[in-house]
Amino acid sequence: MLELNNQYTLMKRRLQTEVLKQFFAGTLEKDADKIPFIVIPKDRIPNRCCIYKERAMVRYRIMAFLGIDIERFDDEMKPLTEYVKEVMETDQPPAPSLTTISTACSACPPNQYRVSDSCRGCFARPCIANCPRDAINFINGRAHIQEERCVKCGKCMEVCPFHAVIHIPVPCEDACPVGAVKKNEAGYVEIDHKKCISCGRCAMSCPFGAIVERSGIFPVLKMLASGKPVTAMIAPAIEGQFPGTLSQIKEALLNVGFAKVVEVSRGAEVTAQREAKELKKRKEEGRGWMTTSCCPAYLEIGNKLLPYLKEKRSDAKTPMGYTAEICKSEDPGSFTVFVGPCLAKKIEAARDPNVDGVITFSELACIFMAKGVDVREMKKADLGDTSSFEDCRGFAITHGVADSVMRRYDGPAPKVLPVNGVDKKAYTLMKVWEKHAPDADIVEVMCCEGGCIAGPGTVVKPAVAMKLRGGEKAATPVKSMSK
Amino acid sequence: MEKKEKVVVRICVGTACFVQGGADLLLYNDFLDPNVLAGCEIEGASCLQSCKKTCDATKAEDKPPFISINGRIYGGVTQERFCKLLAEAVNA
Repeated sequence: MLELNNQYTLMKRRLQTEVLKQFFAGTLEKDADKIPFIVIPKDRIPNRCCIYKERAMVRYRIMAFLGIDIERFDDEMKPLTEYVKEVMETDQPPAPSLTTISTACSACPPNQYRVSDSCRGCFARPCIANCPRDAINFINGRAHIQEERCVKCGKCMEVCPFHAVIHIPVPCEDACPVGAVKKNEAGYVEIDHKKCISCGRCAMSCPFGAIVERSGIFPVLKMLASGKPVTAMIAPAIEGQFPGTLSQIKEALLNVGFAKVVEVSRGAEVTAQREAKELKKRKEEGRGWMTTSCCPAYLEIGNKLLPYLKEKRSDAKTPMGYTAEICKSEDPGSFTVFVGPCLAKKIEAARDPNVDGVITFSELACIFMAKGVDVREMKKADLGDTSSFEDCRGFAITHGVADSVMRRYDGPAPKVLPVNGVDKKAYTLMKVWEKHAPDADIVEVMCCEGGCIAGPGTVVKPAVAMKLRGGEKAATPVKSMSK
Repeated sequence: MEKKEKVVVRICVGTACFVQGGADLLLYNDFLDPNVLAGCEIEGASCLQSCKKTCDATKAEDKPPFISINGRIYGGVTQERFCKLLAEAVNA
């Protein structure tokens, strides 16, 4: 997958900030079509073929930010202002969470191994000796891979002493754990929404930005403008995403219009308690292994692809589910908005009547920038008594969920197996588990490698987030070297 | 030999800089040449106000993230540029 901060994500944040600035100024319905020209001015040196294509891409990204399903509703004759009007009148359906921009897609060559000019035509020829399919022959004194025989195992690449064999992947196909992303006959990307689990890996992998998430921010902006109070439910991963402490982040959220801020770790505590209890019960009844149930992309694997997992996963709701329940019972007249790093949460939220909206940290960052809110300059809001669920902030990091469950488990420690990131291999493993149970009592599944802090909606790299997480660390992100 | 003054480097950790790539600079321990690091005094800084002055900028150097080296402000600082600028300042 791509590094989180690259030219594409920075551009995306820039134009989203621009859209929000106009929205808050009340000029979006009039001036939306000017934004591509503001973001891509005519004297810019283009990073695609020309500035006109760049502007067209900005237009599509604005559509995605508005929540339009570009695959289905792209009308090139329709100005952005029309789309804005539509979105302001009626909320877009939350599914599917991802959509594709086929004109952005570079139609990458198919996944292949190729022998490059560095081949020296050596005498030992380890590539030939190690190819399981006899797919390599010699032409003009150089190794050559016969495409129709090659099974793309990569052995030849591993054994070549000159690194002459290169792998040319299709990044989106490569990233999708469940095989939902494929090139169509014309070579352009297509998502099979019946299989897609909304993990967002493909969107994080495409260097052309051809797969985009459909934002859910406009329904939330409308809620904030409605006058009815809105509660922000902040995911445990939020700590470390902004240059300030958790209490400063809370203050910043209050500053941009949220009436109340509730930590989802509070609901995570309930999840951990229930999972601990259920695990014990399952063990007593001899029902075998159990998996955690907090990762919504993993839930989609059970819902859409491997139905046997529905029985294997814990019955406990996700931390968001319990938090929303608490919020709705405490303030029945309030909207609830989940603020997190996750794209699949939108799908989960659509099924949960207690959750009214979902935005990502990255989108929140754009709100902060558009409103000129500097998290570092915020005073410290009171977080209340967090002692009972403080450890559940660890839900955001791999091993963290299992750790929280273990702490609440009564009895000899069960065996834990963390699945740190669901890639193709991990998904294959899950298929195998149906017949051969894993050697564990509880399997903790996180679709993003490293946990939620590596989610597709994050602002900073996990390494930076880890540096800033915990207590007052984020207040002084850089320690003076002289000390 | 006279002891050389340390180069004072301030990384802006205002929200705009932090979000637009400045956060990556906080990992300087991992990517900066230790010899250069030894010659610098690196600290975090509240918003240097540069983002407000150049909000319509088109050139990368006029956009966040910003840092200041011995009081002079530089924009569009990637990890790579960070290393280069600091090395220049230390060896000057």
